[in-house]
Amino acid sequence: MEKLLTVEGLNKSFKDKQAIRNISFDVRKGEIMAILGPNGAGKSTTIRNIMGIMYPDEGSITFHNNNGKEIPRHKIGYLPEERGLYKNVKVMDILLYLADLKDYPLDKAKERAKQYLQKFDLEGTENVAVEELSKGMGQKVQFIGSILHEPELLILDEPFSGLDPVSQELFKDEIRHLADNGTAILLSSHQMNLVEEMCDRLFMIQNGQKVIYGTLDDVKTEYANFKCTIHGNNDAAMLEKISQVQRVEQKDDTSILFLEKDIQPTKWIKELPENVVINELKLNRISLHEIFIDIATNKNLLKEAGEENA
Amino acid sequence: MKKMRNSMKVAKWEIKRNLKNKTFVIGLFLTPVIFLVFFLIGNLLDGDSENETDSTTVFVHDQIEAFSSLQDTADMYELNWDLHLTDLTEDEVQNELENNEDTAYIFLTESVLDDGIVPVYTTDEIDPYFSMQVQQLSEPLQGMRIAQLGLTEEELATISQGVVFEDQTSVEEDATTRESEEEVAAGDELERIVPGIFAGVILFAIVITGMMIFQSASLEKKDKIAEIILSSLTPGELMQGKIIGYFVLGMIQVVVLLLFAVPLALWQLDMPIVEYLLVPETLLLVGIAILGYLLFSAIFVGLGATMADMSTSSNFQGMVMMLPFISFIIAGPVIGDPSGMIAKVGTYIPFTAPGVLIMRLTTLEEWPWVEIIIALVVLIISIWLFMKLAGKIFKVGILMYGKNATPGEIWKWIRS
Repeated sequence: MEKLLTVEGLNKSFKDKQAIRNISFDVRKGEIMAILGPNGAGKSTTIRNIMGIMYPDEGSITFHNNNGKEIPRHKIGYLPEERGLYKNVKVMDILLYLADLKDYPLDKAKERAKQYLQKFDLEGTENVAVEELSKGMGQKVQFIGSILHEPELLILDEPFSGLDPVSQELFKDEIRHLADNGTAILLSSHQMNLVEEMCDRLFMIQNGQKVIYGTLDDVKTEYANFKCTIHGNNDAAMLEKISQVQRVEQKDDTSILFLEKDIQPTKWIKELPENVVINELKLNRISLHEIFIDIATNKNLLKEAGEENA
Repeated sequence: MKKMRNSMKVAKWEIKRNLKNKTFVIGLFLTPVIFLVFFLIGNLLDGDSENETDSTTVFVHDQIEAFSSLQDTADMYELNWDLHLTDLTEDEVQNELENNEDTAYIFLTESVLDDGIVPVYTTDEIDPYFSMQVQQLSEPLQGMRIAQLGLTEEELATISQGVVFEDQTSVEEDATTRESEEEVAAGDELERIVPGIFAGVILFAIVITGMMIFQSASLEKKDKIAEIILSSLTPGELMQGKIIGYFVLGMIQVVVLLLFAVPLALWQLDMPIVEYLLVPETLLLVGIAILGYLLFSAIFVGLGATMADMSTSSNFQGMVMMLPFISFIIAGPVIGDPSGMIAKVGTYIPFTAPGVLIMRLTTLEEWPWVEIIIALVVLIISIWLFMKLAGKIFKVGILMYGKNATPGEIWKWIRS
């Protein structure tokens, strides 16, 4: 797929703290690329460097299909993490202003704005002042503002924060829809479950450094080993002796067995000792969420998995 | 080119946003209404005092028995005068004048008929039209001068018919040399003052509107829309757009003010104000006012970006806010002595230059061109410098959420 944005060797420090270190990735046409990481990992800093709101100490940011050094602002849609709208203006006015700043024809913008307002359940709010909107409605208007001018590259910093589940679904569908129509999307989030469902590739960042970079499938087969959840009163020491178990987490009557890579699920189940008490048994791959928690809390699951793969 | 277009978009937005804002629109009309109210109150008080004193008291020291014809003339022209005869001599009058108001003494001695000069003494406070009204008296006096020649009635008729035009002008000049000179001087002064007041009003209105830039500069930050806006344009374009936008808003305020002021002035003052305005001097004065706006708007926009919002301004920021008003503070000494020390120093300090220059150029008869040019150069260089500084401060400040910048931090941004 065609690359739209390439970030290479990005470094940025504030005072004596290095915010991001040697960050490299690219964003391609028609895909959703996610930057994941806990709070303070450097997601927003990376994005702000791309948008020219900050300047990197080192590294390069290249927008392909663009002549000249300037950021092709009118081809980019941006929803920052710190976001809001002018308070005392009307919804339609601000949307048209944002489109106008992007050099998008106004009549077309008006048409699209109406469509999107309808799509996001905001029909009839064109002439309502922004300050009268609820927070969620405001978020929707901001989102519409960032996509109204049909950007080639859409950068969304924490697009789901502050949204209810229904709106989250709405956003997710729209983002997916845009990607299917060829928009390159770079989004950052710490809501793994949502990202896991939608992203094509991901870049996981911790303490300003790359942890994982690859397609979701690759990441899953590579890092997301199987885990077995057993409900029943069992002795942890006994469970640890089971073959191919890396470690056991136990809480009340629930035990989670983290398994080694390359196990055969059916074969492994057959080899379970007979004295294991099982009220309920679940065998599934570790989710992105768990990998994320693992990284964020500095447990060593991933490290072990990584070392084994190294 | 593209840069300018982006700035114009911002300017248009700022104008539209404000014109749709009730507070701004109310303020727009409130300013001239307040002016009007004060004007009318002043006028009302003035009117009262006029009714009390009623009319100008005019004493005539009459040695040529012209009093009754003067009385007739005064009645004919409906002059608001109280005419009395007096025996006071010119030497004694001085004392009387000091203790009275709105009083005049006219001395009709034998010499009037010979050389045609009528000495007139007035108190400091006198009806402003008195000097014009007194001219009317020349008519009967001239008649007496001609009659004195002992001509026949036919000859008299011939003279008064044929040469009347020439005679009257000469008499007018003769009879009141002093007054007529003053009259001309007063006209000159008005011609200078009108463009000056006009430029002053422009400077005042756009500086006041420019102070709104202060709030506007921190608005993107307050409403957290800064990053969204900056994904479409550069901080420099945003800043420029704001400066242009608020300039236009200031001009709208000026126009609204003039819509109230000009008809009122025409009605009340009976002067060809529009004629006085349409002179080349107005251009320079308005130009100075615009330069003043550019300087202060650069300072305000830079400073505004360093604050979270209006309510958190520090002493330092409050002090900078006061800069445009320094010229109002020193207005007294500058107008009192437009070539004096304070006026000259004020001319060369960029913060006071626009105000002081406008005040000096309105009061000075001869314009000090060298000083003007030096002051303009200093002003333009300062504007360029402050715009650069404001740009640097604005760029960093606008993205600093919820925090007030200290002077130390601002200095760091300037140096970076």
